Amino acid sequence: MRYFVCTILFCIGFSSMLHSQTDSITALREVRLIAYRLKDSTYTRNVTIVKDSVLKQNQASLTNFLNFNSTVYFKENGLGMVSSPSFRGTTASQTSVLWNGININSQTTGQTDFNTINTRGYNKIEIKPGGSSVADGSGAIGGSINLVNELGFNKGFHNELFANYGEFNTYGIDYQTNYSSEKFSVLLGIARNASDNDYPYPETDRININGQYHNTNISLAATSKLNLNNTLKVFANVYDGRRNFSVPTPNALKTKYTDFNTRSLVEWESHFSKFKSNLKIATTTEEYRYFGNIDNDFYTYGKVTSFISKYGLDFALSNKILLTAGINYTHNDGQGSNIASETRNLSAALISFKHVLSETFLYELGLRQETNEQYGNPLLYSAGFSTKLTDFYQLKVNTSKNFRIPTYNDLYWQGVGNPDLKPEESYQGEISNNFNFKNLSISLTGYYNYVENLLRWVPDSSGIFRPENTNKVEIYGLESVVTAQKSFGNHKFTGSATFAYTVSENKETGKQLIYVPFYKFTASFGYNYKRISAYYQYLNNDEVFTTTDHATEHILDSYMVANLGAEYTLGKNRDYKIGAQILNFWNESYESVLNRPMPGRNFNFYLHLKF
Amino acid sequence: MKKYFYKLASLLMLVLITMTSCTSDDRDDPISVQPPSGDYTDGIFILNEGGFGYSNASVSFFENTGEVYNSIYSEVNGMGLGDTAQSMGFYGENAYLVVNNSATIEVVNRYTFEFIATVSDMIINPRYIEFSDNKGYITNWGDPNDVNDDYVAVLNLDTNLIEATIPVAEGPEKILLDNGKLYVTHKGGYGYGNTISVIDLASQSVLNTITVADVPDGIVIDNGFLYVMCSGKASWTGDETLAKLFKINLSNTNETIVLNFSAEQHPSYLEFENGMLYYTLDNEVYTIDHNNFQLSETPSFSPPADGVEILYGFEVHEGAIYIADAKDYTSNGEAFIYNLNGDLQNQFSVQIIPNAFYFNNL
Repeated sequence: MRYFVCTILFCIGFSSMLHSQTDSITALREVRLIAYRLKDSTYTRNVTIVKDSVLKQNQASLTNFLNFNSTVYFKENGLGMVSSPSFRGTTASQTSVLWNGININSQTTGQTDFNTINTRGYNKIEIKPGGSSVADGSGAIGGSINLVNELGFNKGFHNELFANYGEFNTYGIDYQTNYSSEKFSVLLGIARNASDNDYPYPETDRININGQYHNTNISLAATSKLNLNNTLKVFANVYDGRRNFSVPTPNALKTKYTDFNTRSLVEWESHFSKFKSNLKIATTTEEYRYFGNIDNDFYTYGKVTSFISKYGLDFALSNKILLTAGINYTHNDGQGSNIASETRNLSAALISFKHVLSETFLYELGLRQETNEQYGNPLLYSAGFSTKLTDFYQLKVNTSKNFRIPTYNDLYWQGVGNPDLKPEESYQGEISNNFNFKNLSISLTGYYNYVENLLRWVPDSSGIFRPENTNKVEIYGLESVVTAQKSFGNHKFTGSATFAYTVSENKETGKQLIYVPFYKFTASFGYNYKRISAYYQYLNNDEVFTTTDHATEHILDSYMVANLGAEYTLGKNRDYKIGAQILNFWNESYESVLNRPMPGRNFNFYLHLKF
Repeated sequence: MKKYFYKLASLLMLVLITMTSCTSDDRDDPISVQPPSGDYTDGIFILNEGGFGYSNASVSFFENTGEVYNSIYSEVNGMGLGDTAQSMGFYGENAYLVVNNSATIEVVNRYTFEFIATVSDMIINPRYIEFSDNKGYITNWGDPNDVNDDYVAVLNLDTNLIEATIPVAEGPEKILLDNGKLYVTHKGGYGYGNTISVIDLASQSVLNTITVADVPDGIVIDNGFLYVMCSGKASWTGDETLAKLFKINLSNTNETIVLNFSAEQHPSYLEFENGMLYYTLDNEVYTIDHNNFQLSETPSFSPPADGVEILYGFEVHEGAIYIADAKDYTSNGEAFIYNLNGDLQNQFSVQIIPNAFYFNNL
């Protein structure tokens, strides 16, 4: 399994998912519960983990990566432009993006623009469907995505260089250097991506005007084992991006947008007898500037500085029972062109209990009390169990209450913001069936999610948009993840697929939300023979409604896109790879947002060196 | 059991693989039936501005037979109208569609709707168009964040090229011709204006400025009198001001009657028909006699009773009142036609965000 195997890691088994192979992706073998020491993580829901080598075979943006490798649906305003997710039928701000466990959704919009996350800066990405507000706080309703910098020890000095170049002058460079000794490990990564992005619109004589972008991402991670009981970790990240927004029509006024985000985190882990304590202190800054006219220096902006601290104490009553208590505190300080300087403080206390009842049964309970008076102090919960019914079948059941607080824009937008808004609340339940065989794993999850007080900007009678707690939304669906691998001598085959069926209905109108497809499919296949690998990625999104009345003439057609890639490994130690990709192999003409065409077939080459 | 699952999964994989070579299953777009005569001679155009940034502006046609035809521009010309259609004007055989966020004027034949030309040079954020003597006059905001680059573009209707620009104050909106002069309301663009520019056609320059109240929205000229409906600044601006209705004697602009609305009232539009002025307030329709000139406490009728959600277009023409309803801005809107007593005569569905009515030979 040295090479690319398949695109999705589907995680089965109670744990050890954090300790999987460093190279490729595979379904993990089960770990006997009894032998495992419980950790403070969720055991009663599935998590998909994707490692570095797979990330490299995808395009750099988090949008592209998740689009082809998960059930998350994306609405992308043309390639590289503003991109927002719908995870399990929820709205764009109901997906929580975490950076090494710290929430980095914009405080001004509540969303993360997935085209402003460069996956090259991270060596692991965790995809967690379903609500996890008890652990991850506000916004984790549809699911969460965790971007992780993971460090190993005792590996000496390593360097990695990845470079790609493709049509429309699209290039990416990612350099990572890593040094680790027995007690110390440090990683520095610098990645830059850029494109002229002036692709022709298929089946027209137009091209994508003013779509160029570039961004730079710098990541630093360091870990030091201070002594047997104490570990100190430091993480830092800087993202600097500039995009021109492609014009909707050729003569429209050209605009541009810049993002500058910084994140830093210090984490102190300490073990003593039956206790394990974890302290995280982080600061983040986010700033955007929007230039309504590219030729003019005038811009509007929003800027938020946050201070986040999290403390958690694990107490192992036995090796089968884990009690965890924690305190979180967040301070935001924001301002902008339309927001007077505002600060807010949020704090929460949480407690959880996990118990391995028998070799085949585990249950867990979690409670989180928010203590900000402004939002009505919601008490959140999560409860679930996991049981292994046969040697290949595992059942997981989980229910939770989750929430999302109003954003800075919702609360403080001058003139229209509403300080009396309530948080969104979501009540969920899910059942996962996991089947795990030698060469095959299948998960099938059914879920239900009821969201109240949905925050939306709606026009009042004079046509002015204002934020309001509006509708109730009922969401239910099925999702499935399948991975398989099989070898015949030197020939290795891998495959993975995700499938989602999503009903997301506004309870007032009885209609599916706009830009939420009923179906989404992804599939990928890999083949490897000695030094040669080939892979194929496929995505199929169902049609979506773009108007709330579901008028058929405004429905955006379904589409399928496929990428084909091949790579060859060189060098005595197989340290060098060269690869080529054909993106949109079938030259599909498609849009993910109305009248925002995506590129047709295009070519891309890459080089991956380890030294 | 185990084997069964394996087989099932293999089957699933196979299905997926085969699917990959299919293209997506596109829905056939419903073909909007167009008038059998192939022309749009007697009827009403309804301009649907479409969502800002979505390039889905369109034109609907309400034929005097009662038939409604949607998306006539794209049906006739095989291309989209563009992004955010603001307004439209007729001159001679032609119709001129002012497409705001596309920064174009699309010229079509007003009877066949066949495309003639696109005017794009020196058009930035165009709003409204007026005509005189084979020239079109188009108000432009320019860069909306720049308060000093607003202008009226002068379009040569023979060449379809802009031949001159007349600089004006920020946020020029509606434009009206009377007696050799153009009257331009300065609603204010991204800000808030409170003036009317008077442009002399002969010299193509601003002759003088009439100060009214904040946010002049509707403008009517009748028999030497200029009526201006100023909406005032709404409460959400953080600086709420009173709405006012002006009656200005154009032969002596010092001779002005001003009616003050109550605080928190922010009326819109102004139409004139048979000696009566019509305007709207909170989606209700009000009338004022132009001689008596007293504000009425009670509305003349209430369109929300008929299902109007957001009154987004309002016209009074030849004994009928036309109302466009934008709904929630993300669904097809509706048009409502009333008689002058406020009795609903007709109601039909149009396209995204209808904002105005234009009467062809009616």
